[in-house]
Amino acid sequence: MEDLVPINLFTQVGNTLLWVLLVVTVFVGASGTVNLFRTAPVLQRITGHLFILLTFVFLAGFSWICWFHYQVYLSLPLELPANLAEYLNRQLEMMNRGAEYGLPLYNPEAPPRYLLPLWLENEKYYFWFMCYAFMALIGHFRLEHPRLRAALHILMAIQVAILFLAANPFTDPLPKFFSAVEPWFTQDLSMGQRFGLFMQLYPKMVFYYNAEYMWFHPPLLFLSYACITMTFVTSIFMLARRELAIEIMGYDYAKLGFFMLTLGMLLGYPWALKAWGPNWWWDPKVCSSIMLWAIYSTYLHTRLYANKPFMWYFSSILGIICFLAMIFTFISSFFFPGEHTLV
Amino acid sequence: MSAQQMESEHKILKRAGSLDYYLILATAGVLFAISVICVYGMLYFKFASLQQLPAPAKMAYMDTMNIVVAPFVIILILLLGICVPKRLLPARQLNWFGAVLAVACTGVSFLLGIKAGLIVVLAASLLLQLVVLGMAAAGSRHLHFEKSGYWVRVGSSLIHLGLILFVLDLLLYRHPFLHLVLFWVTTGASVLGMLCCFYAQTAANVVRKIRQQ
Repeated sequence: MEDLVPINLFTQVGNTLLWVLLVVTVFVGASGTVNLFRTAPVLQRITGHLFILLTFVFLAGFSWICWFHYQVYLSLPLELPANLAEYLNRQLEMMNRGAEYGLPLYNPEAPPRYLLPLWLENEKYYFWFMCYAFMALIGHFRLEHPRLRAALHILMAIQVAILFLAANPFTDPLPKFFSAVEPWFTQDLSMGQRFGLFMQLYPKMVFYYNAEYMWFHPPLLFLSYACITMTFVTSIFMLARRELAIEIMGYDYAKLGFFMLTLGMLLGYPWALKAWGPNWWWDPKVCSSIMLWAIYSTYLHTRLYANKPFMWYFSSILGIICFLAMIFTFISSFFFPGEHTLV
Repeated sequence: MSAQQMESEHKILKRAGSLDYYLILATAGVLFAISVICVYGMLYFKFASLQQLPAPAKMAYMDTMNIVVAPFVIILILLLGICVPKRLLPARQLNWFGAVLAVACTGVSFLLGIKAGLIVVLAASLLLQLVVLGMAAAGSRHLHFEKSGYWVRVGSSLIHLGLILFVLDLLLYRHPFLHLVLFWVTTGASVLGMLCCFYAQTAANVVRKIRQQ
C-alpha cells in the first residue's frame, strides 16, 4: 500500500508530533500533580503557556490526519473494467428495485472514492482528547482556581498517555480499513473475485465510510464526551466545597454537552434506519446511549434546584455518574456485541 | 395588591414550586428506572448471545424489552401530561385536568387498547404544549415556569414539544415517510429549544441585532 498512500511519511511526522505532545504533557501533568496538593500554587503562568502549546500541537496532528485522508481520497478509487461496470450496474438496478435505500449506480467517469471521516478507529480518541484539550484550555483561563486547573491538567496527561500507549493513530494507521481494501489494490484478482470484493467494499463505503451522517453523529458525541469530562471535574469539586463559580462553569459545559449529545444521538437515528433497517432497537450501544442521555437529562433537571443543599450534592453525584455512564457507553461497543460493533 | 392577596399568591407559588420539585424527582426516578432496564437489556443481549441468533429470536428479544420498558414510558408520558398543563393551570384546576385525562386515557385504553389511550394523552399534551408555546412566544405572563426570561420559556416549550413529538413519532414507525418527516420536525424543535433555553442571552442579542439591521 506504501506505493499508493504515503503511510510511512504519515507515521514518521505523526509520531514526532505525538512525542512533542507527550513531552509537553509530562510538564503540564507534573505541574498539575504538584499544584493539586500544594496550598500555594506554583508554575501557573508557564503551565498556561504550555497548555496553549499542547492544544496547538494537537491541532497540528489533526491537520496531519486531514492531509492523510485527502491522500486516501486521491489514491484509492474503486475502479472497474468497463464490461464489469456494465454488469454491476445491471445487478445494482435489480437489487435497488423495491429496496427502500438502494446503492448508487457505478459511474465509470467518476469511480467511487473513499471520503474517510476524521474520527475512524484510533483517530476517534485523538479527536475526543483534542476536544477535551480545547475545553480544558478555556476552563483554565476562565477560572483562576489552581486546584481545578491542576485536576484539568492531570486528566489531560492521562488522556495523552492513553493516546501514546494504547491508541496511537499514527503508528499503523487505520488497520481495519487498510486490511479490508488492501486485496483490491495489491492482489491480482479474477473478474469474479473482483466483482465479489467490490460487492463487499461498496455497501460499506456508501453506508459507513462515505455516509454523510459520519460527519455529524460521531464528532458531536465526542464533543459531548469532552464536555461531560469537564462536568465530571467540576462535580468532584462541588462535592468537596460549595463554590458557585465552579458550579456555573460545570453547568455551562453540561448544557453544551447535552446539546451535542442530544443532537448527535438524533442524527444517528435516520442513519440507523437507512443502514440497518429496523433491527437495531435495543442494540447494546443504543441501550447504553439512552441510559447516558437519561442520566444527563436527570442531572440537568436536578440542577434547577441546586440551591437546595441536598440537590447540590445530588446533582454533583449525578455529574460523576454521568461520566461513569459515558465511559461505560463508550466501552460497551467493545464488550457488548451489536450493530455498532460491526462497523 | 393587598397583603392578604400577596400572601395567598405567595402560597400558590410555593405550592407550584414544590409540585415542580416533586415532578422533577418523579421524572428523575422514571429516567433512572429506564436506565436500569437499558443496562439489563445490554447484559441480556450479551449473555444470551443474541447477535448470533436468527432474526425471529432478535425480534422476540425486542418485543420482550418493549414490554418491560412500556410501563415506565407510560408513566413518563403521564408525567409529561401533567408537566405540560402545569404551565397553564393553577394547582386545583391542574388536579381536575389530571383526573379527566386519566379517566379519558383509561376509558379509551379499555375500549380501543393501551396504544390508543396513550395517543389520547399525547394528543392532549401536544395540543396544550402548542398553546403554551404560542403563549410563551407572545410573552404571556400567565404561564407558570420555574425560570423567568422570554427565550428560556420559548426554549423550554420547544424542548417539551420536541419530546412529545418524538414519542408520537415512535408510534408512526410503520409509516416511513411520515415517520422521518416528523422526526426532522422533532429534531428542529429540540435543537432550537435547547439553543433558546441554554443560550437565552445570546439568542436575545442575535434577535436584537437582526431587528436593528
